[in-house]
Amino acid sequence: MTLDGSRSLYPRLLVLAILVLVSPLALLGFDAMDGFEKGLTPEIEHKAAIVGGDLADQLDRAVNYGIPIDQLVGLDEFFAPVLDANRELRYLAITDGDGKVLFLRGVPAADLEPHFRNTDFDLMVPGQTSVIGDYADLAVPILADGTRVGLLHVGMDVHYVHHRVAEILIDVAVVLAVSLLLASEILMFVVVVNISGPLGQARRLMERVRHGDFTLLPWVVTSDEVGRFVQCLNGAVRGVDQLYRTLAAYVEEVRGAHFDPTVVERVGVVAEGIDAAYRFAPDGAPKLRHERHAVDVRLPLFLFTFAEELSRPFLPLYIRSLPSVTWLSPEMAMAVPIAVFMACVGGFTPWAGTLTARHGSRLVFLVGLVPAVLGLVMAGLAESMVDLTLWRAATGIGYALITMACQGYIARSVHESSRTQGLGVFVGAVLTASVCGMALGGVLVERVGFRDAFFVAAGLAVLSGLLAWRMVEPETERRERERAPTLRDMIALLGNWRFTVLMVFSAIPSKMALTGVVFFLVPLHLWSLGCGFGDIARMLMVYAVTVVVLSPLVARLADRSGWRAGLVASGGVLGGLGLLAPALGLGSDSVLLALACLGLAQGLSASPQMVLVTDVCAAECRAFDRTNVLALCRLLERIGSTAGPLAAAAVIPLAGYDGAMVALGALVLATALVFAVAATAYGRARPAEEAA
Amino acid sequence: MPGSVARKVSAALLAILLGTMAAAGVFTYSKLESVSASLVRSRYAVQVLSIKRNVEDRLNLGFPLRQLRPIQDVVEREKAGDPEIVDIQIFDAHGEVVFDSDRGSVGTVVPSNWLNSLGNGEDFAADDDRVVGLPLINGFGQVEGGVVLHYPSASLERGMGPTAMRLLGKAAVLLAVFAPLAVLGSYLLLNKVARRLATMGTILGKVVAEGGEVVPDDGSDALETGFAAFATRIREATDRIRAASDDVERLDRLT
Repeated sequence: MTLDGSRSLYPRLLVLAILVLVSPLALLGFDAMDGFEKGLTPEIEHKAAIVGGDLADQLDRAVNYGIPIDQLVGLDEFFAPVLDANRELRYLAITDGDGKVLFLRGVPAADLEPHFRNTDFDLMVPGQTSVIGDYADLAVPILADGTRVGLLHVGMDVHYVHHRVAEILIDVAVVLAVSLLLASEILMFVVVVNISGPLGQARRLMERVRHGDFTLLPWVVTSDEVGRFVQCLNGAVRGVDQLYRTLAAYVEEVRGAHFDPTVVERVGVVAEGIDAAYRFAPDGAPKLRHERHAVDVRLPLFLFTFAEELSRPFLPLYIRSLPSVTWLSPEMAMAVPIAVFMACVGGFTPWAGTLTARHGSRLVFLVGLVPAVLGLVMAGLAESMVDLTLWRAATGIGYALITMACQGYIARSVHESSRTQGLGVFVGAVLTASVCGMALGGVLVERVGFRDAFFVAAGLAVLSGLLAWRMVEPETERRERERAPTLRDMIALLGNWRFTVLMVFSAIPSKMALTGVVFFLVPLHLWSLGCGFGDIARMLMVYAVTVVVLSPLVARLADRSGWRAGLVASGGVLGGLGLLAPALGLGSDSVLLALACLGLAQGLSASPQMVLVTDVCAAECRAFDRTNVLALCRLLERIGSTAGPLAAAAVIPLAGYDGAMVALGALVLATALVFAVAATAYGRARPAEEAA
Repeated sequence: MPGSVARKVSAALLAILLGTMAAAGVFTYSKLESVSASLVRSRYAVQVLSIKRNVEDRLNLGFPLRQLRPIQDVVEREKAGDPEIVDIQIFDAHGEVVFDSDRGSVGTVVPSNWLNSLGNGEDFAADDDRVVGLPLINGFGQVEGGVVLHYPSASLERGMGPTAMRLLGKAAVLLAVFAPLAVLGSYLLLNKVARRLATMGTILGKVVAEGGEVVPDDGSDALETGFAAFATRIREATDRIRAASDDVERLDRLT
């Protein structure tokens, strides 16, 4: 039998989820495509007939004034606005009675003339179209005194409907991808909470009993098969415990009441034999132990981050749509709310950590939800850029509280030896939520608009709070007040040149690039290139997916090779070079290339960078605690996050969107090269475990 | 399967399936509606552009807008040519309707927000779902008024209604097929685990009650091996404590 724990069960459930989600959605998508084609084609033909009829009426008037059809002038100017305003129409042409093209706008004459010459349009029913390669041609007669003197041809793009349908299929694919990621999160939660978690507790109970320890029982409240199994084990342990209690009571009775000291002594020997072989709880009954799982908090964290990330593809454009202040350039006005959000996240993170240590994760999560939800709702109702900045600040404070609450919960749920695994739970939830949020945010805003998208985000955030309230265990024991990082710690840390070099030449520039490019420049730039929100979201997904896929692989590589500084430097160089891509002038392709490189860069450097911090700050980790060192590192990173959009906004008026990306790329590249040189003086890095 | 893991997993899968189908259906329908609405609007925009040109040609000959009486016939002809059109109006720079396919509306005043947007040169009723409007501009670039065409929502709804119903029907059929599959799949995947756990529970009960030893099969996993050791240890402890109790009782009776 393979009871599976959950290791093999979870992937199999994921496969099941994929099967039951992909198949119906694919069928629904293709059915919608079919219906769409059937519905749109007559509408386009109807429109072409109206355009043709209208233009033919005007041409009729001209030829009835006596102007020969081949001597009409200004037809280019006449046709141009019609084609410009109707993307589904590809050409307008006038032919004489023999099919010779007299005037044509839209496509080369060679594509059409053979068809026009060889087709007998007299045989065609009015309104009937003929297909010429990629075009559906509708011929409308031009009449002079009731006699046909030529034909006006309206050419429709036969691929127009396919393109629109393809857009729908892409949207359906995005919804599907998001659903699958969501399914994986929910299934992971269901499996861990209901199967692998209780079975893990059962395993530990069996192991304890094997060693004669009957003191602890797993606290499992579920009434399913796994719950019943654990209760059965608990029942067996309680049965033994009960026998022991009865024996102990009897022994006490004999010791206290028996007149023969020899008997008392021999009874004592019997009791000592049992006490030597087994261990029972000293306070009368086995203690129920409730085990927390890092996964308890993963779903609420995922949902909250998902909600926050929904605005990623459109936030700068939303800010631009709001009235701004006159004393800021339009670009700077768009950057300020993003920078303020980042500053609030960074500024409140240390305080949020202390608060979590004092009051527990659940309370801090729920308290953090108040400014976060208020900020999201009010961002949707914002009347100006100043309003929005204020409410983004509120959301930033909430974000800091909630993420630190989750980190604190995870840190307390996992053993010291599996801290990395715990960090993986946190990073995994945040990255997966980023992919989902970015993807769905673009689709959502196209349908419901900026403001309603914020309300949807607020609803999701409330849902995350409900989940946290239900799933995150409240603190049952007061913890010692943890020491918060202080300014003195920060100064001492910056006195470590290795740490300072790592921060100034790697961490801060890479965060500048992340927020400056991904959160700020890309949406604006792609919008200026004519991309829709869905396109922007899909481009941003390239970045997020690259990071999601690469990060765990690189983390393993870094652990095995120990080449952390090299990976960090390589990431910086790659990211910097990628951001120079817009200099090639390839439009949205350059942006895509830059995003892919930036994703690779973040994937390469993010995990090794964290470990490198503990490597180069081994002494500080011992002195101030590793958590505090990492918190200060995060705080410094936020300086880069805050500066990124502001720096980009400052460059846009001078060099445009491409120039701003290139400028940030040059900065990242230069600092990465400096870091690469400086890191050679680091010497052989000590493993993080030693530092800890 | 009351109170079973399979039921919980099925419920999660069904919720995800339902949510995904609903989201995909809503997004797809909304996209269909937006593209269809844009096509219908652009079709009417062509007609409005045609009327605009017609009026502007006459304005460029130097006639004042109010004196272009043939335009009344033009708007009536356009409306007669497309029974779906609700109304076509031509108004002057002050917003007063001077020609209207519904003659009774001549002299009424158009919304002031249209007048404010006339100078943009583009569709001034773009925010209005069922109206297309273009400004009338004379040869000197001055705005003389505007032409608006009102079209019914019915023309769009007629096209979209059956599509929506078809999508809904299809989604319902797919749900009806795939929801039981999800339940069945969860049950098949988890049933084996559930049965083995139940068996182990029964074995443990027997071992505790009747004694005996649990010997794991070849190829047992860690949980089974651990369970066998656990059951044996429980039995052993039970026996040993009972023996100890017997010993104590025996000693207690010694006088």
